[in-house]
Amino acid sequence: MEKSCREIQEMLVDYADGQSSPGDSSQIAEHLAACDTCRNLLDALQRSLDLAGVIWTDGLSETENLRIAPSRGSGGIRRLRYAAVAASIVLVATVSIVWRASVNPKAAEVTFEQIEREITESASAARLLAATELLAEYPDARPIVDQQYQYIVETYPQTSAATKAQSHIQ
Amino acid sequence: MRAMNQTLADFATGANQIIDQQLPRLSLTEVLFAERARLKRIIAGMGLSAADGEDILQDVAVRTLHQSGPFESREDGVRWLIKVTINRCLMEHRRRGSFQRQAHEILERRPDGQAASKATDEKAVVAEELELVRESLGQLDRSLLAPMVLQYFCGLDSAEVGRILGLNPSTVRGRLREGRMILARRLLERGVEP
Repeated sequence: MEKSCREIQEMLVDYADGQSSPGDSSQIAEHLAACDTCRNLLDALQRSLDLAGVIWTDGLSETENLRIAPSRGSGGIRRLRYAAVAASIVLVATVSIVWRASVNPKAAEVTFEQIEREITESASAARLLAATELLAEYPDARPIVDQQYQYIVETYPQTSAATKAQSHIQ
Repeated sequence: MRAMNQTLADFATGANQIIDQQLPRLSLTEVLFAERARLKRIIAGMGLSAADGEDILQDVAVRTLHQSGPFESREDGVRWLIKVTINRCLMEHRRRGSFQRQAHEILERRPDGQAASKATDEKAVVAEELELVRESLGQLDRSLLAPMVLQYFCGLDSAEVGRILGLNPSTVRGRLREGRMILARRLLERGVEP
């Protein structure tokens, strides 16, 4: 018996994903050949997934450079310390950036976009620095810790975290 | 990129040396570093910013070191990591929302030869469609978004997604159908011809 549009539409996602049985697939294909509405819906299913892929991939370009810097120890206090160190560095950096923007003779050239970027970089550098300082408590991790400090100095040279990281490099 | 991978590999080795007396944690740490690309993919798929993503990865790393395990297999460890990452992403969603970058920003960032090279009219249509899908993804119930990200962006099948999220494969398929239909129907309702 021929299926209605509603029945076909309920099966379209599975059909698009190649999950339909051979019997269902041939019924759907037959219906699609004669039905613009269902064919448009199938196209929209594919199109929306393609566009979702564009959005997901765009997000991936941001997360590709994320680093994992594990810390160890009694969770709550240690993580509070991590957050406190990072927060204090970010606070100092933010105050410094905003202060520069307000008193510097070149203030007119500083855009909010630049300020936002600098604050974001300061935050990233501060988080990495805080995690690295926790790891530095373990003597065996010294080579890795030095690499992390070097990375902070090279990647975020204009931040206060970089200055602090530089002071740790022997 | 090679230098960064080397740094991460060295970091993993160092971290493993520090905790080498705790075997279950040691192996899970190795799994974490081996699977980091997939975890980043999940974070991106859930629409979170790089800054939030970094916080999430740090938290997952901390939880990994505190996880007492043991896991019966590497696959179990991978599932645990994905589940923790997804849950942490969902928590972040409740606080901040997601997919904040506008469609035109996404298009501007795309390499030449893709959408950016198209004629102006066609680009406008792409931007409109992209904006619709971005909005729809942002409004999608999280119980629908997570299976979609795992299946269509991370390449897992419905059975594996079900094992990670604690759902039957048929429930996963049901959620995929619902999520996909919401996105597709919104494109059609706004009159954007596919």
